[in-house]
Amino acid sequence: MVTKVLNWINYRLPIINTFERHLSKHPVPKKVNFWYLFGALASIVLILQIVTGIWLMMPYSNTEEGAFASIEYIMRDVDYGWIIRYMHTTGASMFFAIVYLHMFRGLLYGSYKKPKELVWIFGMTIYLVMMAEGFLGYVLPYGQMSYWGAQVIISLFGAIPYIGESLEVWVRGDYYISGITISRFFALHVVALPLILIALVFLHLVALHEVGAGNPEGVDIEEYIDEDGVPLDSVPFFPYKVLSAMPAIGVFGLVFCIIMFFFPEGGGYFLELANFEEANPLVTPEHIAPVWYYAPYYTMLRAIPDPLGGLIVMAAAVAILFVVPWLDRSNVASIRYKGILSKIAIVLFVVSFITLGYLGTVTVTETGKIMSVICTVMYFAFFLLMPIYTSIEKTHEVPDRL
Amino acid sequence: MIKSILIISFLSFSVAPSLNSAEGGPCKDYGDCDQFKPDLNNMASLQRGVGTFMKYCYSCHSLKYSRWGRVANDLQIPEDIFFEYLVPDQDAGPFDLMVAPIHELEIDNAPPDLTLVARKRTSSWVYTYLRAFYDDSSTTYGSNNLVYPGVNMPNILAPIQGNQKLGCKEIPVLAKNGGEKRDEFGNTITKEKCGYLKHQDGSGLLNVEEFDEFIYDLTNFLTYVGEPSRAERERMGVYAIIFFIIFTFLSALLYREYQKDYH
Repeated sequence: MVTKVLNWINYRLPIINTFERHLSKHPVPKKVNFWYLFGALASIVLILQIVTGIWLMMPYSNTEEGAFASIEYIMRDVDYGWIIRYMHTTGASMFFAIVYLHMFRGLLYGSYKKPKELVWIFGMTIYLVMMAEGFLGYVLPYGQMSYWGAQVIISLFGAIPYIGESLEVWVRGDYYISGITISRFFALHVVALPLILIALVFLHLVALHEVGAGNPEGVDIEEYIDEDGVPLDSVPFFPYKVLSAMPAIGVFGLVFCIIMFFFPEGGGYFLELANFEEANPLVTPEHIAPVWYYAPYYTMLRAIPDPLGGLIVMAAAVAILFVVPWLDRSNVASIRYKGILSKIAIVLFVVSFITLGYLGTVTVTETGKIMSVICTVMYFAFFLLMPIYTSIEKTHEVPDRL
Repeated sequence: MIKSILIISFLSFSVAPSLNSAEGGPCKDYGDCDQFKPDLNNMASLQRGVGTFMKYCYSCHSLKYSRWGRVANDLQIPEDIFFEYLVPDQDAGPFDLMVAPIHELEIDNAPPDLTLVARKRTSSWVYTYLRAFYDDSSTTYGSNNLVYPGVNMPNILAPIQGNQKLGCKEIPVLAKNGGEKRDEFGNTITKEKCGYLKHQDGSGLLNVEEFDEFIYDLTNFLTYVGEPSRAERERMGVYAIIFFIIFTFLSALLYREYQKDYH
């Protein structure tokens, strides 16, 4: 009976073929390490964010008077509202943590090398949309940090010459942040950007399945195939890949629950303490800090004294990630077979990125200023010098098989 | 290689101090806040805390996001007793918000709402602040606070705590290496430092330990009201963690079994 129905549908809509091609029988490299699990985890968090978001939307009030109180209403009066909200706030931080690790995996093992350039570009666009999505969502509770964070970010548009000021008003929909800003941010956060995000994730996966997943060795598994055209060094997605993801999902769930149930504020890094006070346009908080996942870019912004210069540097820091496929001239993909220069470069890059992140969450000091300039230079040097150090260094021979 | 990257990353995070200490001490002139450890399952403490709040704080401070019925229920106080003895407003019902009469009048500079004070400033801050008032004739109310210098609030608990003044005391001089400096006879060298709270014994209804406990209960209540689901959250968390430990263990076994197919 079930087979009959399935066949009836499959004759008209290729569900079985698609399911087999992209899920059950999709060949994946048989030997990968834990770095290759974050993609699966990211898609789980995306689903979690969408589901919890829908439920949060029901009691949330997108008005200037009602926004903050409606969050407290969710935390107190809605049955299990607190768990839904904490899942969403913890999920936001976890989403970024996972995506950063996922992106770093890409840098380590050259997941952008030909023919995966488009996979990488779709991924970077997802990251860009996520940053906008996170910012818009942070404004919705309308606490002090929501308000003043939005003030700082929107005023960045003002640094653009000629059109800056009118652009600011256009983004806010008002001369200052008001109810109209909240309701438009709400519309973008819950409808526009999630739609774009889902479309991009779809493209990211379709492009990936077209060119095949990578592996830490940087070996092209398509070179050796059996008579059915299936790579010899691959295993079908189901059950092998699913089973390898399960323990990872377990560990991730464990970390997630420890944060969500015991440290939902994440020491002030996930939910900033100042945001437990309703937005007050007349009182500036002592210390305006972005949430941790924007901190590296915020430091770059502060490192440059001129607002327009800061904005350009900050935008360039994200933009440069898009062209990495063309900056890496190495003849090998994986860091395992690259030369010493690439290895030193990536260590310095990690150190600079983490230092930039740390500096973005603390108040500015003299040493901090110098450090932030040095780290910004190190960050850009990693990318701008990449064509040089990847082409002059001596690489090691890549094996034929996994 | 990757291991060294991970170690470096881990070290960079572990040396990062918390946000609070980065701001240069939230307890200001008091120094480090006294650590407060809430006990949200101690109903007696929470019940004493809500009693203190209603008696001393509620005339000026609301808990406008919280509802009467929820508090009575969570603190296991029968509703009839709760409304008869603790709620001054005769018309208030269990679903009404705990808005103080002063906040129903529209006045400028009204005292702040305290529903989220323990979340915004931390419980340790509240606990330290409420014990850090001292006499200061230069201010409007004749009192000041080490944690919140120049606070525009009278020392409402003074009759209970008794007199507290700023005084000086001898503290050891620290050498460059961080140890105490000593003279040639091995005695610690001290210097006078001022700005310490000095309590006058017997001047209040409670002695120092009793007053600390009194403030503990009040802070415990404010911690509860900042996040009423916290006790339940921590209870549920234990089960969620046990679930994921079992899940990880079983799925790892299954993964190992299937991995044999291709290794």
